[in-house]
Amino acid sequence: MANMNDILSGLDGLAALPQTVLRITSMLGTGKASASDLEQVARNDEALTLTILRCANSAAYGRPGCAFTLRQSIARLGNSTMLKIVLEQKTSAMFAGAGAAYGLQRGALWRSAVGGAIAAEALARRANFDSPDLAFLCALLRDIGKLAFDAFFGPEYLGLVERHLRPDRTFVDAERAAFGFDHAQLGAELAARWRLPERIAESITFHHNPPAAAPAHDVLFDIVHAADIIGLWAGLAIGCDGMQYKLAEHVRVGLDLSRPVAEELIACTWDNLRQTESIMDQATPQRVTA
Amino acid sequence: MAPSTLSYARTEVDGKIVVGVGDLVVCNDPAALLVTYALGSCIGVTVYDPVAKVGGLLHFMLPSADLNKDKAAANPAMFGDSGIPLLFKACYEKGAKKERLIVCAAGGAEVLADDGHFKIGSRNRTLVRKIFWKNNILIAGDETGGSNSRTLSMRMDDGTAIVRTQGSERVLWPT
Repeated sequence: MANMNDILSGLDGLAALPQTVLRITSMLGTGKASASDLEQVARNDEALTLTILRCANSAAYGRPGCAFTLRQSIARLGNSTMLKIVLEQKTSAMFAGAGAAYGLQRGALWRSAVGGAIAAEALARRANFDSPDLAFLCALLRDIGKLAFDAFFGPEYLGLVERHLRPDRTFVDAERAAFGFDHAQLGAELAARWRLPERIAESITFHHNPPAAAPAHDVLFDIVHAADIIGLWAGLAIGCDGMQYKLAEHVRVGLDLSRPVAEELIACTWDNLRQTESIMDQATPQRVTA
Repeated sequence: MAPSTLSYARTEVDGKIVVGVGDLVVCNDPAALLVTYALGSCIGVTVYDPVAKVGGLLHFMLPSADLNKDKAAANPAMFGDSGIPLLFKACYEKGAKKERLIVCAAGGAEVLADDGHFKIGSRNRTLVRKIFWKNNILIAGDETGGSNSRTLSMRMDDGTAIVRTQGSERVLWPT
């Protein structure tokens, strides 16, 4: 059976992020990069430059319509928002065509990534977590391990896991029984190879099993875990793994999640996702007149 | 704009009309196949009039529009108690009659070890049973509960409703 290294070494498309992204994430990860340093790298990527300018000039970041330079825009957005923008833009193409191994329609994994990220941002704000952008980013990347399984095994993946499924067993338990590791662990390893900050990689590791006790406990991991479950309830990326996941009790208590709160989050996630898709023109409203 | 005909569904090349989460489609094209994927805790409801050959499919996410009236007004198909009446109304507008309608349902799964705290799928299932019981409508076929993902489809030429889950397929109607 393939180990993690076999899987990740065999992935041409996923093996590395583009150089621009690697350099920017690395610079942002150290926390020492200036807006000027980041500008030098970002301006080599036209699409990224446009995205940064558009975000910095949007209503979400204050004065809309002002003509900020790239450097001013980077400074205005701040490190965590920059990281969110860079990775969101660069990983969207990876997610878009993946998911067949998990029985998902094309685009479903990306919808789940974005939907989970929206839920995480909302949960972070509700919990007064200091960086909702970081929560967004971690949730966006939480299932990159599924990309790796998908790319390596393709349609054979399901057959390998299926024989280990039990009614009372979570899907990640079945993955571990089949391969010796699950998509969360595989995703964290991929994040490490992408040289993402350690806390992001750890949030991926723990997105189905967040540690309850100190020193490993981190509210960020709790938020990403809860966002994943909110995404399931919102009908996002429910493939062959179905609803075979658990919400950790300490997360339910710690984030003060009740049924009404969960339902409000589900509705808001779905609503915001549909608005996002509409803006991105991924789902065009149309009249069905047949 | 009449909400009953607004849809984010994508029509695929082979005549398949995909109904998204929180959406409904009503149609009278006998060549069409209505399908909704990834039913987890959400519930898919099909209705079909075999005489008028009018039918529809709703994929709702949460039971009650009381949660957020504004959201329900903007997207009635998000909730069972606003989406189901809208599904029926849209079918009637295309010529369906209540006494001929065949209703099927699938979905309403739960995450593992919910321990009664949320029960999103269970509340959706209860809503479906309650709303049809109150309106004196029998559910002709259903497959709900558990923790698996389901795909629900309905052929518009004869109303055949099929649920697929983890590689297996079951005809909900006709039985």
